[in-house]
Amino acid sequence: MESTKLKKITSVWIITVLTLFIVSIVLGILMRLNQGGIIQQSPITFYSNMTTHGLTMIGIWFVAGMAAVNYLMQRYVKTSFAVNVIALVFTVIGVLMLWTSTFIGKFHAAWTFLYPLPFKETGATTWATLLFLASLTVLGIGWLIWSISLMTQILKKYSISQTFAWQHLKKNPRVETPPFILITMITLIGVITCLLAAVVLLALFYAEYFSNGNFINDALLMKNLTYFFGHTIANEMLYLGLAVIYELFSEVSGRPKWKTTWYVALAWNFTLVFILTAFFHHLYMDFVQPEGLQIVGQLASYLASLPAAGVTVFSVFIAVYRTKIKWSLTNLLFFIGVAGWVIGGLGAVIDSTISNNVVLHNTLWVPAHFTPITLWGMCYLVLDFSTGSPLNLRKTVK
Amino acid sequence: MQQQSILLLFLAIAGIAAFVFTYIFVSSKKATQAAQGMSNPLKKRFWFSLILFVILGIFATATIPNSPYYLFANETPAKVVHVSARQFEFILSKKAIDPKNPSGEDNIELPVNKLVEFRVTSLDVNHGFAIYNSSLRLITQVQAMPGYVNRLRYKFKEPGKYDILCLEYCGMAHSFMRSSFIVK
Repeated sequence: MESTKLKKITSVWIITVLTLFIVSIVLGILMRLNQGGIIQQSPITFYSNMTTHGLTMIGIWFVAGMAAVNYLMQRYVKTSFAVNVIALVFTVIGVLMLWTSTFIGKFHAAWTFLYPLPFKETGATTWATLLFLASLTVLGIGWLIWSISLMTQILKKYSISQTFAWQHLKKNPRVETPPFILITMITLIGVITCLLAAVVLLALFYAEYFSNGNFINDALLMKNLTYFFGHTIANEMLYLGLAVIYELFSEVSGRPKWKTTWYVALAWNFTLVFILTAFFHHLYMDFVQPEGLQIVGQLASYLASLPAAGVTVFSVFIAVYRTKIKWSLTNLLFFIGVAGWVIGGLGAVIDSTISNNVVLHNTLWVPAHFTPITLWGMCYLVLDFSTGSPLNLRKTVK
Repeated sequence: MQQQSILLLFLAIAGIAAFVFTYIFVSSKKATQAAQGMSNPLKKRFWFSLILFVILGIFATATIPNSPYYLFANETPAKVVHVSARQFEFILSKKAIDPKNPSGEDNIELPVNKLVEFRVTSLDVNHGFAIYNSSLRLITQVQAMPGYVNRLRYKFKEPGKYDILCLEYCGMAHSFMRSSFIVK
């Protein structure tokens, strides 16, 4: 049966994610031991581990969000099992290629692979850079097919304006857009856009790689593309998690199902704009970047917190405050996960203030803000999703 | 110092957030079946969002004019230092640096309480030109990018030795990439 197949592949996704998470954590611990002087790694080993750790962590939480969204989407529209499998296969192959380029090839240009560093690494093998770019290409193709497929399935049932829930901005809408569909659509637009930017970025990398010195990229353009892709995919990973929360939190807490209201519709439509423009906050210390874009970066980063706090987080508060709930591991993990996002988000808003960024940019403040988001938020979400009622990993995996 | 005020701000608001989440959780644990939940949720949501918007507006208005792009923008620098970064050194010079034959000066000296402009570029990959005071506290920075010159303006209020550390990962010897200058 379709739902059993979907349950099984989602379980495979979760197990894959948790396995890769453990490997990444080990690399993280090794890095910290090295920085603390307890073990001694060569710089190349340290930095190639750093590259592996960073990219694997971001990748696994992204695919975990996608897998969870794919699973829940089946409640509303038919999803393609074949595409789900393709995405899994491409992800595993891509990760293995990435790990080969770093562990064996000693590629060590960091998870940001900031142009032109991948081309100017001493100490890496000559094939490592090409294999690294190829690994990102494989991952990107798999994820692009997956996100386009999911969006296509949504659009087969809902019109474009319904996916944006515009009918909810008027009184008494005839068709209801579930919050899950609204958020997933908004998020998938961001995902597809940033993956397309990654296609352009990779094409420019390949063009220079194969040009024998006849084509040199513009460092500012490459930086903008890199951070548009990188920031947006990390941000969207979070919002995939929020789609799951909107769908499941009320269910696992015994509360009435959340519905799309005019302010939910408005908040998420604005969120799309803010998400696509916040990435400029990665270029604050590039003073040649047009000033207007720097200001857009700070304003978009600030404003993105408004719908997040005023709609999403406040809705969680309303659902819980002075309300008798049968607290279990599942709904407690959701609740604590949201708290983790909020705390990481506070650090993010502080860092996205340009005058603060002068002393915070590229310091430990940065992983300090995203670790609560990934470790606390997404990890709890994935554990939650696996143990909670819809998937119940313990029952599915024999 | 700026880092301390930022840390205090973060601890304060994170503390408030943690308190609010705990308070709400405890209110649920204490609730009976007949508990009414939150009264006037839409009104409270509106005020919460409005207050947040006003706070963000105040921070944006107060901080954006202090962005490095605007500081000392209308003044003429008393000293200009040219900086070319490359794997794995900073080349500093009072004269423009020829990228084909880059060379610099040791023992750069800069005036205290006067406007200094660093014109920073890179000869290979992105580096981070980050200045630290004698307590090794980061006081300012700018990116060193290939093909571009970023201009960093600063007034040093204290005399002494200042260190430059690379603050953009640039390859295997990134952590050894440093330089220094004196402010008198």
